[in-house]
Amino acid sequence: MLEGLKAAATGMTAQQERMDALSNDIANVNTTGYKHERVAFGDLVSSSPGRGGVQTVRAGAGVAAVSAGRGTLQGSLRATDQPLDVAIEGDGYLQVKLPDGRTGLTRDGALRADSRGRLTTASGALLQPPVTLPQGMAAADLKINPDGTLFNGNAPIGRMTLVSVAAPSQLNDAGNGVYTTNAASGPPRVAGTGTQLHQGALEASNVDVADAMVDLMDAQRSFQMASQAVKTQDQMLSIANGLKQ
Amino acid sequence: MERGLYIAASGMLAEQVRQDLIAHDLANASTAGYKPDRVASKSFGDMLLSDTSSGRTVGPLGLGTQIDRQVTDLSSGPLRDTGEPLDFAVEGQGFFSVQSPKGVRYTRDGQFAASARGTLVTAAGDDVLGPNGAPIRIGADGKVTPTDIGVVTLNNARREGDNLFTGTAGGAAPSTVRVGTLEGSGVDPVTTMVDMISSLRAFEAGQRVITTIDSTLQKAANQVGGI
Repeated sequence: MLEGLKAAATGMTAQQERMDALSNDIANVNTTGYKHERVAFGDLVSSSPGRGGVQTVRAGAGVAAVSAGRGTLQGSLRATDQPLDVAIEGDGYLQVKLPDGRTGLTRDGALRADSRGRLTTASGALLQPPVTLPQGMAAADLKINPDGTLFNGNAPIGRMTLVSVAAPSQLNDAGNGVYTTNAASGPPRVAGTGTQLHQGALEASNVDVADAMVDLMDAQRSFQMASQAVKTQDQMLSIANGLKQ
Repeated sequence: MERGLYIAASGMLAEQVRQDLIAHDLANASTAGYKPDRVASKSFGDMLLSDTSSGRTVGPLGLGTQIDRQVTDLSSGPLRDTGEPLDFAVEGQGFFSVQSPKGVRYTRDGQFAASARGTLVTAAGDDVLGPNGAPIRIGADGKVTPTDIGVVTLNNARREGDNLFTGTAGGAAPSTVRVGTLEGSGVDPVTTMVDMISSLRAFEAGQRVITTIDSTLQKAANQVGGI
C-alpha cells in the first residue's frame, strides 16, 4: 500500500526536476551559446506486492529523473558584425583558463581584448592557449579564418584552438556557460575539421521556446496525474481506516 | 468464523496491488520506452458446501481473489522527434541490447549518449550492442548509422528497473531504427485514470461488505437471545 504512495510521489519529484530544467532553459532563451538541458527518466526496480498478489507479480517503485547532459543541436548564428565575436559551427568548444586555474570549455564566443591585448571571454577568462593582439592594432583589422587562424590584415598573429570531448553529456557545468572536463567526459582533444568558426556572429541559445512550453505543459499534467495517484492512495488508506466502526 | 469477511478482505488486498501498479504507471507517464503493466486477478479455488445434517450439496463458494498474472503491454508507444543525433527509436517490435553489469539486458529507451571511450552508451553508462554483440563505436562526425544498432526480438520480457528488461532473445527483429526520435511512454493517461477510479471504488465496496458483515455479527452477538 505505502509502496504505491511512494511510487506516485517519485513521479511528482521527477516531473518537478523536469520543470526545473525547463524553467532554466526558458530563462536562458537569449543566452549566447546556451544548450538546453535534457532530463531522462528511468523506472525504479520493482518489489514484490505483498499479500494481495502472487509472488511473481512485481509492483514497481516509481521513477527517477537523471540528467542526460545537454542538447547538441546547433543554435542559430546571429550576425553582430563585431570583429571579436566568434560563433562555433559544429561540435566543439573554445578552451579558456578560469580564474581559479582550471581549464574550461565554452561556446560563448563574445570575446574582448583586455588591457594587455589578450583575448578573453565576456566573463574575463583568458583563451587557452593565450592569443594576444599586437599593441596598437585596430580591432577592425582583425580577421579570423574558419579554422581559427587570426590575421592582422594579411599577417598571421596566432590561432584559436577549438577542442571537443568524447562524451559531452558528462561535462561538469562551471556556470557562465563554461564546462569543465572529468574522467567520464574524456580529456579535451582538437576538434575535427567539420567544426568551424564564424567571425562577426554569435551562436544563439538552442532553446526552442515552443518545444519548451509544450514540454512544460506535459510535465505539469504528468505532475497532476501523479498527485491524483497520491490522493487516491490516501483515500484508500482512509477507507481502510474506516473498517473499524 | 464468517467466511465473507476474509473474502472481502482478499478483494481489498488485490485492489491495493492494482493501485500500486497504477501509481507506478502514472509516475512513468514521461519515461521514454516505458511499457505499462496489465494485471489479471484470479479467484482462489472454489469450495463445495454441503448441509451437515442431510449431507445434501448446497453449491460452490468462492474464497476470494488475488492478483495472479501481470502482463507487460509491449505494444509500441508514440514516437517523438527530438533531432538529437544519438536518440534512437525502434519502429515496430524489438529491443535494443545493452551490456549492463549484470549481463545483457534489453530496452526500448533509445536516449543514448557518447562515452569517454567513444562508444554508444545508455544514460546509465552501459554499452549499447550492435547486431554482432559488440559495443558500437561513434563515428568521427559524432553520429551512428541506425543499421549499426542491433534490434532483437524478446521472449518472456520481464521488467528489471531502469527501463531494462530481461528475457530470452530471439533473432534479429525485422524493425527499423529511427535516428533523432524517442519512443514515448506507453502509459495511456485516460485509461489509467479510469482504472484508478474503478479500482478505488472496488476497494471501497470491499470495505462496505466488511462493515456490513461486521454489523450483522454485532447483532448476532448482542441481540440474539435478548428479551
